[in-house]
Amino acid sequence: MRNILRLSLTLVVVGVVSAALLTGMYNLTTPIIAERKEAEYRESLNCCFPDFDTFETVEIEEDKFDLLYDENGDLIGIMATAVQQGYDGDITYNLAFDGEGKIIDIIIISHTETPGVGEVITTDDFQQQFMGKSYEDPLTAGEDVDTVSGATISTSSMIGSIRRVTGVVAENFLGVESEEIDINSVPDGVYNGSAPGAGGPITVEVEISGGEITRIDILEQNETPTYYIESYPVIPEQIIANQNLDVDTKTGATISAEGIINAVRDALSGALEDGS
Amino acid sequence: MKSDNVYLGDLTRGIVKENPVFRLVLGMCPTLAVTVFIVNGFGMGLATTAVLIASNLVISLFRKFIPSEVRIPCFIVIIATFVTIIEMVLQAFQPVLYEALGVFVPLIVVNCIILGRAEAFASKKPVLRSLADGVGVGIGFIVALVILSTVREILGQGTILGPDPASAIHLFGANFEPMALFAQPSGAFIALGLLMGLVNVIFKRFNI
Amino acid sequence: MEKILSIIFIYILVENFVLQRFFGICPFLGVSRKTETAMGMGMAVIFVMTLATLVTWLLYTYVLVPFGLEYMQIVTFILVIAGLVQFVEIALRKISPVLYQGLGIFLPLITTNCAVLAVALLAVRQEFTFIESIFFAIAASIGFSMALIIMAGIRERLEMAEVPQALEGTAITLITAGILSLAFLGFKGMLTL
Repeated sequence: MRNILRLSLTLVVVGVVSAALLTGMYNLTTPIIAERKEAEYRESLNCCFPDFDTFETVEIEEDKFDLLYDENGDLIGIMATAVQQGYDGDITYNLAFDGEGKIIDIIIISHTETPGVGEVITTDDFQQQFMGKSYEDPLTAGEDVDTVSGATISTSSMIGSIRRVTGVVAENFLGVESEEIDINSVPDGVYNGSAPGAGGPITVEVEISGGEITRIDILEQNETPTYYIESYPVIPEQIIANQNLDVDTKTGATISAEGIINAVRDALSGALEDGS
Repeated sequence: MKSDNVYLGDLTRGIVKENPVFRLVLGMCPTLAVTVFIVNGFGMGLATTAVLIASNLVISLFRKFIPSEVRIPCFIVIIATFVTIIEMVLQAFQPVLYEALGVFVPLIVVNCIILGRAEAFASKKPVLRSLADGVGVGIGFIVALVILSTVREILGQGTILGPDPASAIHLFGANFEPMALFAQPSGAFIALGLLMGLVNVIFKRFNI
Repeated sequence: MEKILSIIFIYILVENFVLQRFFGICPFLGVSRKTETAMGMGMAVIFVMTLATLVTWLLYTYVLVPFGLEYMQIVTFILVIAGLVQFVEIALRKISPVLYQGLGIFLPLITTNCAVLAVALLAVRQEFTFIESIFFAIAASIGFSMALIIMAGIRERLEMAEVPQALEGTAITLITAGILSLAFLGFKGMLTL
């Protein structure tokens, strides 16, 4: 009996001492580790925002945004982290905006695009064309920016994603309103509209009847068939079902989906302008 | 004078005659896994030696208080505690090394070298001798790791002091195509096997 | 379901725990002399590894995490494994003395088999679910046993071959393992999680 007591006591003592020691070490090292991680992150932001004081992280759906403030509490920049499907896997990248929503840097964090081909998205030549642009620019292939021939899918995916993220930043942090279309107030009729997709403009024909969208047809599109098929006819069907442009774009082809929605929006806002 | 010899013996035995890797064939897992780069091999050796010395010390210190029936669990808890401490220290002060060594840091606790020395030596011998033994075996382990990683890095990557591009020295010029085999798992096995053969030959030649 | 099938395929072949990840080398070198002993060790490992991963996963998820004690991971996991091995030994001695005779000597060795602790740690660190962890452990241990048995078969043949004296013993085993590992390299990149 005494023996078992002695054995158990030894084990308990060893266990308690171990736990106490580890708890102490843990409390000692955790703040150091946290500090180091923050210092590392700050250094990575130094590329674009050397004078920031504090930052606040906001997550919107799949994107992450770090809002950077200076000592006066003014917004001096936004660092967006987004993921976009490229030609061969996901592309994770940072998009740095200044306080007015103008792009000041693009940093590709990871990608698996083909070396020498899709890899062009990491080059200065490709990235340079985005500098200084904001939500006020079309950010559309063929208009103010270009894809790179031979790497069309990689580059157009990046263009579409940058356009999308710029829009999200403007809408959520810069107080830019996206047009709310009241479908009821659109007069009956058939209207055309177009908006950029991933591979070029998407043109749609929208029919309004009795204050409701009754038909959406795609007249023209240059999307990648394997991706496009994820958003069509899903998106038009959802718009008609909900009578709303606020549909879920998390298909396998977000840029095409957004393109379709924006084209319909374009058609309807054009109708409203003409009507009023 | 005699006591000096004993300590010296304890110290040097683990380096050559009873080298844990080349002679006792212990601690194989980390030896093969982390020796892709010299700095990683060296770092792992240091971390393991730290735990070895600490556990040898503590176990030897308290050897009269630990009943034999529960000695293995006690040793395990003591060793695991020091391994956790080392893991925390690495995470805080050497994050690059910590990431490179990965899951092999916690695996130090099942490195047969440490439990083996605790059982065979530290639990029976006085503190100073256990300390010397820990240092000796630790140095032997570091030496083995460094030798293997030197071979693997020079042949497999063409550098020393990689992978940090800031410190890496490309021995054969930046465009050299190294024997990638040695950076792979297969190369680790083969390199270690050949090195062991070499050590056997040398030891036989010098009657060690 | 797809993930579970991937896990099984990957951890037996593509990322074989012994030949690609370097776990469990000590028993791999020590117990692979004869195919019977290799099979015995393999069975014991499959059993202990699966049970250990199960228990440690539950311990981590329902005890360590809720109490903020993740840093006690190493201490508690290795104690669980050591305790489990003891328990299995005692149980085996009572339930099946025959099996105990065959496997019994290997059981204490499994405590220091880094593969067991590695699987327990990785299951939790890679955030597998409970079911995924079970299949992870089964796959990894099958991979280990497979490598062990193949190696034993080769070594039995090696006994009759003429090995240069310097390379006898561990050295030639390591070189053989290297060639075996090269063979498994063929599976690399076939599937990723």
